[in-house]
Amino acid sequence: METTLASKTVAAPLPQASAASLLLNIPWFIYATVFASLCIVVGLIWDISWHMSIGRDGLLSPPHLAMYLGAIIAGTFSGYQVLQTTFAGKEVQKKQSVRFWGIFYSSLGALFCIWGALAMLTSAPFDDWWHDTYGLDVTILSPPHTVLALGMMTIQFGAIISVLALQNRTDATDLPVDLQQRRQRRLQVFYIIAAGFFLTMLFIIASEFQGRHDMHRSSFYIIGGGLYTFLLSAIARSSPLKWAATATTAVYMTVLMLMNWILPLFSAKPMLGPILNHIDHFQAFDFPLLLIFPALTIDGVLNRFRGKNDWLQALVIAVLFIGVFAAVQWPFGDFLMSPYARNGFFGTETWYFSNNPDWEYRYAFAPWMETTGWNLVVGLLTAVGVSVLTTRLGLYWGRWMQQVRR
Amino acid sequence: MKVVKILLTGMGFLLALSTQAHVGSPGVVFEGKAGPYSLLVSIDPPEVIPGTAQVQIIVDNGIIDHIWVKPIYWYAGDEGSPSPDEALPSEENSLQYEGMVWLMSSGTASLEITVEGAQGKGVVVVPVMAASTAQKEMEPLLGWVLAGLGILLVVLMVTIIGASVSDGTLSPDQPFTPRHRRQRWVGAGIALLVLSLVLYGGNSWWQNWADRYQRYMYRPFQATSTILETEEGKVLNFAIDTTYLSYRGEGSRTSYFIPDHGKLMHMFLIREGSLDAFAHLHPQRVDTLNYQVKLPPLPQGRYFVYADVVRWNGFAETIADTVDIPETPLPARLASVTEADLYVDPDDTYIISNPVGNQKPQLQANQIVVCGKPGIDTPLPDGSTAIWEHEANEPLVVGKLYPMTFAIQDPEGNPAQLEPYMGMMGHMVVFKNDGSVYVHLHPVGNYSMASQSVLESRIAEDQTLPTLPDPVQFTDSINQLVASIRAMSDPEREGFLMEDMGHDTDDESGAHVGHSVVTFPYVFPEAGDYRIWIQMKRVGQVLNSAFDVTVSE
Repeated sequence: METTLASKTVAAPLPQASAASLLLNIPWFIYATVFASLCIVVGLIWDISWHMSIGRDGLLSPPHLAMYLGAIIAGTFSGYQVLQTTFAGKEVQKKQSVRFWGIFYSSLGALFCIWGALAMLTSAPFDDWWHDTYGLDVTILSPPHTVLALGMMTIQFGAIISVLALQNRTDATDLPVDLQQRRQRRLQVFYIIAAGFFLTMLFIIASEFQGRHDMHRSSFYIIGGGLYTFLLSAIARSSPLKWAATATTAVYMTVLMLMNWILPLFSAKPMLGPILNHIDHFQAFDFPLLLIFPALTIDGVLNRFRGKNDWLQALVIAVLFIGVFAAVQWPFGDFLMSPYARNGFFGTETWYFSNNPDWEYRYAFAPWMETTGWNLVVGLLTAVGVSVLTTRLGLYWGRWMQQVRR
Repeated sequence: MKVVKILLTGMGFLLALSTQAHVGSPGVVFEGKAGPYSLLVSIDPPEVIPGTAQVQIIVDNGIIDHIWVKPIYWYAGDEGSPSPDEALPSEENSLQYEGMVWLMSSGTASLEITVEGAQGKGVVVVPVMAASTAQKEMEPLLGWVLAGLGILLVVLMVTIIGASVSDGTLSPDQPFTPRHRRQRWVGAGIALLVLSLVLYGGNSWWQNWADRYQRYMYRPFQATSTILETEEGKVLNFAIDTTYLSYRGEGSRTSYFIPDHGKLMHMFLIREGSLDAFAHLHPQRVDTLNYQVKLPPLPQGRYFVYADVVRWNGFAETIADTVDIPETPLPARLASVTEADLYVDPDDTYIISNPVGNQKPQLQANQIVVCGKPGIDTPLPDGSTAIWEHEANEPLVVGKLYPMTFAIQDPEGNPAQLEPYMGMMGHMVVFKNDGSVYVHLHPVGNYSMASQSVLESRIAEDQTLPTLPDPVQFTDSINQLVASIRAMSDPEREGFLMEDMGHDTDDESGAHVGHSVVTFPYVFPEAGDYRIWIQMKRVGQVLNSAFDVTVSE
C-alpha cells in the first residue's frame, strides 16, 4: 500500500503500513475503550434479563463477566497508557496529555476510564454488604448500584472523551490524505457509537421511570426529556456530523433491539422462588423508546439556528423535543400495551418470574399510572421547562466537548 | 456518597432485634420422618430477606443417594417453587448433609426436604418464617477500605475535572499558562463543592433506604397485659396492639389467627429475676384484639409474658410483654386450675420451683418443684422422677444440635407410661435467665405444627394464588372450632389433636406405643444460664418439671 510520510516533527513512530491502514493510526486504546463501553452496556442488559429470568447469580455470572471485562479492558489499557506516557512516553505523547499529581501524564479519556474502573471495583464489596444488610435488591437504583452505574457510565464517558480528543485535534498521522479522511470519519462514527452506548446506559439507569407503564405519566416526559436533551444536545453540538443526535439515538435503539431479539432465543429457568410467572427463556429488557424522532428536532434546530443565541436554541429544541417525544411515545405506549406488541419484535410479553402474570394491569394503564387533564398540561409544560434548562446545559457542555484535545 | 456514610458509620456490630415465633432463638429444628427415613434437621434462617438459609440434615437410617432441598412459599405454593438444590455430605461428618436455600420474599415459607435412597423416596415439609429481623452495621475493616476507595475516587474526580477545564482543552503545542493553572484550581474547587453535595445527597438517600428497611423490617405485634380483679379471681387481659398493621398488610390481621394444638394462643408467664414461677395458659378470645385468662395463684412480681400465635397463612410468631401481678395469697400446695369456669382452659398449668441463684424460695421445700440438672435424678411432684439423659460433666455448647432426652420413672421406679398432652408427648420451654432467649418446642422440633399443617394443605391443593377470606366469617368459624375442641372430654380432645397433627404413636400392628422417654431436639443460640421447663402428662395429670443448665461457647 502506498504510504506518504508526513513531515511534521511531532509525528508518532511509524506503524506498519498495513496496520496503519487498518487501524488508521488510531491508538489501540481508543478501540479498546469503545469495545469496553459495548461490553458494559451488553453486560448490563444481559444482567437485568438474567435477574428477570433466572434470579440467582454469583460474582462470576456471565453477565457480570461481560461487565467486568469492560472494566478490566478500560482500566488496564488506561492504566498502561498513563504509566507508559509518564515513564516511557515521548515528548509528543506528554504534550497530548494532561499532567496531574506532579508526575503523571494521561489523556482525559484514560483518566475517566480509570475512575470508572475504580468505582466499579468499589461498588462490588459495597453492593455485597448492601445485599447482606438490606437484602438482595431487585432494583436498578440503589446506592451501590448507583456507584456501579457511575463507574460504568464514566468508563463510557471516558470512551467518548478519548475519541473526542482525537477527533478535535489534527495529529500528524503519516497517513495519505484519503486515509486521513477515513480516519477522521471513523473517529466521528466512533464518537456517535460511544455516545449511543452512553445513551443506552442513561436509559437503563432511568428505566424505572421510563417503562411502558410510565408512558402516560408526565414524570416520564419530565425525566426523559431532561436527560435525553442534555446528552443529545451536547453530542449534537460537539460532533461535526450533521445528524449526530439522530444517529446517536439510532445506535441506542439498535443496541436495545438487538439485545431484545437475541436474549429471548436462549433458554432460562427461574432458580429462585416464589415463581409466579413460569418461563422457559430469557426475558427481554424494554423495547427502546422511539427517541430517533424527537432527536431529529435537536439536529434540525442546531443545523438551522447555528450561531444563534443558545437560550433561544434551547427553548426551540425543548418545545419541539417534548412535543414530538409525547406525540410519538404516548400512543406508542398504547401500542406496547396492545396484543400487537406481544411478539418477538417488541417483546412486551417479557415479565419478571416473581410477578403475577395475571396482574390486571400487565397490559394496561392503571388509573394511577396516567396523568390526565390539567395535571398533564402542567406536567408537559414542566417537561418543557426542565428541558430548556437541560438543553442549554447540554449545549454549554457540548461547547466544552468541542474543545477537548487531550 | 458511601464515603460520608462510611466515615459517619465507623465501627459497627450486628444488632439482632427480634425473631418471629420465638425470641432470640431464630434457628428451626425438626425431628421426624421423611417417608422411611428418620431425619434431624437444623435450619439457620437468614436475618435479612432476601437471603440464604443454611440447612443441616442428619439421616439416622438407610443408605442415602441424594437429599434435595427446596423452598416452598405458602403464597406461591408448590408450583411456584424453584427446582431443588442438593444438600451434600458434610466434610466432617458423612452422616450429615448440608445445603443452602434462597428465601426471596418475606412471609410463611417452608423447606421441602426430599430424601432418595435404598428405601425409596421420602418427603417432609419444615416450616420456616421468612422475615428480616436484623439491621447490620458495617464491619470496621470493610468500612475503612471503602472509605479509602471513596476518598481516592473523590480526589481523582476533582483532579479530572480540574484538568478537564484547563490543560485538557489545550492543543498539544499550546503552553500551560498561569491562567490555565488558575482555571484548574477553580474547576477543582467547584468539582469538590459539587461532589460534596452529591455525597451529601447520597448519604441522605442511604439513610432513607436504611430507615425504610427499618420501617418494613419484621416486628412482632406489641401487646398490653393488665390484671383484672373479677369475682372469679384475677384475670389477665392481653390486648394486642395492631399499630404495625398498616405496613404488615391485611393478611396479618388478628382476625386470621388459627389454633395450634387446639388453642388460639399459648401464653407463658415466667417470673422475672427468680424464674421460680412458670405458667402455661391458653387465653380465650374476647374479641380479635383482646384475650383473657384466669390466673393461677402465682406469687406477686413482674412476669415475662410470651404469647405464641399462628396466622391463617401459617406465619407463627410470639408476642412478648411483661405484667405485674399483685400480691396474692399463695396456696399451701400447687392448686388445680382445671375447673371449668370462665377463662380457664382445661390444659392450663403452672409450677412454682426454687429460684435461680441463691434466692429464697417462695414456698417450703416440700411444696415446690426443685429444678434438676443434666444427668441427675429429679423428683417430680407426683412422686415420679425425671432424668435428663446428658452426662453431668459434659458441658453443653452453643450451636450444637442436641437431642435433649428426658426419661421418666413412675413412683415405683418403673418406666412411666406418658400420655399425650395437647396432642404431643411433651412440651418444653427453653428460657435464658436474662430473658433474651425464649422458645417453646416439642419432640418434633421448635416449629409450629399448625404452620406445618397449613403448608402441607397449601402444597397439596390447587395452585391458584390465595385470596383473603372474609375476616368476620373466618373469626366465627375459628371460634366455633376452638370452642368445640375445648368442650371435648380429655381423651376425646387428645385423640382429636393427635389425629390432627398426624402424630405417629402406633406401631405396625396399629397398637399404641408407650412412651417413657421424650426427646426434644434443640440448638442453644447463645451462651449463658438457662432454665428449661418440661411438661408431660401421666395418669391424667400434667407433670411439670424444670432444669437448670449452663451453656458455654
